[in-house]
Amino acid sequence: MSGDLASRHSYDETPHTSRSEMVESAEGGAVQIVEKQVQRRIFKIIVIGDSNVGKTCLTYRFCLGKFPDKTEATIGVDFREKAVHVDGEHLKLQLWDTAGQERFRKSMVQHYYRNVHAVVFVYDMTKMSSFENMPQWIEECDRHNLNKSIPRILVGNKCDAVDRVAVNTNLAQKFADSHNMPLFETSAKDDEKANHVDAIFMTVAHKLKNSKPMMPPHLADFVPGEVPRNVEYISLRGSPHHRGLQTAARGQCGEKSDCGC
Amino acid sequence: MSDEEPSSDFDQEHSEGAGDQPENARISLQEQEYSPKVNGRLQRQHRVFYQRKAKKIEQILSKDPVDIAELRQQSISRGGLLTDDLRRRAWPILLNVNVKNITPKPEAAVLQGHRDYRQVVLDVERSLRRFPPGMEEQHRLSLQDSLVDVIMRVLVKHPELYYYQGFHDICVTFLLVVDEDMAFALVEKLSLGHLRDYMEATMERTTQVLNYLQPLLKKANPELYDYLEGAELGNIFCLSWIITWFGHVLNDIKSILRIYDFFIACHALMPIYLTAAVVLYREKEIFETEQEMPFLHALLSKVPDNLPFEQLLSNAGDLYILYPPVELANEALKRFRRAQAQAAARKQLALQKNAQRKSILPDGNVTFAKVTWWMLGAVASVAVYALYSSMDWDWSSWISHGS
Ligand SMILES: Nc1nc2c(ncn2[C@@H]2O[C@H](COP(=O)(O)OP(=O)(O)O)[C@@H](O)[C@H]2O)c(=O)[nH]1
Ligand SMILES: [Mg+2]
Repeated sequence: MSGDLASRHSYDETPHTSRSEMVESAEGGAVQIVEKQVQRRIFKIIVIGDSNVGKTCLTYRFCLGKFPDKTEATIGVDFREKAVHVDGEHLKLQLWDTAGQERFRKSMVQHYYRNVHAVVFVYDMTKMSSFENMPQWIEECDRHNLNKSIPRILVGNKCDAVDRVAVNTNLAQKFADSHNMPLFETSAKDDEKANHVDAIFMTVAHKLKNSKPMMPPHLADFVPGEVPRNVEYISLRGSPHHRGLQTAARGQCGEKSDCGC
Repeated sequence: MSDEEPSSDFDQEHSEGAGDQPENARISLQEQEYSPKVNGRLQRQHRVFYQRKAKKIEQILSKDPVDIAELRQQSISRGGLLTDDLRRRAWPILLNVNVKNITPKPEAAVLQGHRDYRQVVLDVERSLRRFPPGMEEQHRLSLQDSLVDVIMRVLVKHPELYYYQGFHDICVTFLLVVDEDMAFALVEKLSLGHLRDYMEATMERTTQVLNYLQPLLKKANPELYDYLEGAELGNIFCLSWIITWFGHVLNDIKSILRIYDFFIACHALMPIYLTAAVVLYREKEIFETEQEMPFLHALLSKVPDNLPFEQLLSNAGDLYILYPPVELANEALKRFRRAQAQAAARKQLALQKNAQRKSILPDGNVTFAKVTWWMLGAVASVAVYALYSSMDWDWSSWISHGS
């Protein structure tokens, strides 16, 4: 069985190039394929967290540029995609938006954990329980063979609901620190934060672009020196939303080595 | 739909000319496009056909006792039960609901005290898309309240049933046609029957059901199967089709109701056969899509609203006769075991890697050969099988394939 495992699922983690370019239309979220001879690296990012924390809205905001007017419970796994430009290179980010209900993640989602290049953990800032469940999600992630060296970030969503905030930033920061992840507090809903949401995913994109060793997570025995550090914010400097990010990310990177940043 | 005055007049509710129906959905009833002249004639023929069918269903329903096999046949065959009025009368009979003895609603506190209450409310609040766009907000809100209650009533009455995201999509479909009590009674029956496998504490049996898809595709179209397997597509793309009976993925309520008529009267695995029919129908698009999981997942996970559903239901029925569940069971079980073993191996790898992290332990023992509900219910399947074979009209092509 394990031979089967090795051959069929060869953990081809290296970002592959695509022959055709996907263009996503904002209207229906329908995906159209436009044949264009482009070579671009594709990175797969999985977005996880409790039900109702706003995973669907966040990925929608990033990929389709707006807050969806009617969201629905995600059943199984949804796929959204966005082409991005990072330091002169065209990349493609595939966002895998997962169902939050526990029953789905136990058995169904594992297929989608495979070949993942980065993980975005999301909790709802107005809901303590969604934050308290984070360790479970992280453990789940570890259990699916994801090496700790792949970029992970923690996102507190719904920061627009100022008067309902239940998860203290310091607390979240401590937690993020202890897991060597940067923390971002943001809002998928607030139009003024749209740039911020973009910047968060772009941060991941930068990290992915620059972290050279795209090794299979289960094979890549992490060597601290190999992963470039502190590279991800550089090209965000000077952009309008840069400050928020900087503040949010302050103190995460550089101390511990296995955060991949 | 449900905010309209109930009408038994087929012309009003479901005629080709119904104003709120998009062009392509209307055409799709006819399966093919013809010249306007031929089209006009066909439309007339359809109308006459549906009017006759409605009369026939009326006749069946007016008898006492109702001939259930006949009613099933109508529910399965072209057009299904046609109108909401006929559905209101036929569904309880098809699902063997005792309309005079519906368990009364428990106190609100009991419903709200259930373990799944919170999740149910979250999902119902996000179910706006399932209500007709023109519906008044007050009406919609009260229906949403009813929806929570319908779901909770089933769960409270049957503690062995677990809520899954998507169950609300099933319940809302019924609530758009019948009142709360009846919706509860119908959905309760389904929960103990057709949907039982999806309502376990874990998704294990749901996975087993999903594992019927690939063996079916393999038999029906080996090249297509190879292409999808080569991409490691998996079967989550159709998870919501199966567990919501397509309610979650289609926009046109008329198509959804038609499909529900079909599923209610068929074997519990029929959603797999319809899924296969949809995938097979999209063969060309699939082959034109890059053989990579994300692209195929993106292509397939959305079901176009303008598919010729009548044709696809008929195709699903053909597939069922050609490759009945028993012929797929072995292969499906093998698949399931292989996936289990792979998951275990992967977990083992992770364990070795994280040996120092004591918090990570594998889940308890895995029982491989659990028999699913509908395997036990093989007797019921024989009944439906016999029903197919007894049909002579429009589905005659199936008989020749029957074994
Ligand atoms: N106030 C506020 N509400 C949000 C935000 N993002 C999502 N929501 C709401 O939270 C609910 C759940 O969002 P959804 O994306 O479906 O959550 P998911 O289950 O994690 O995918 C929906 O009702 C959204 O409208 C946000 O940034 N601010
Ligand atoms: Mg979601």
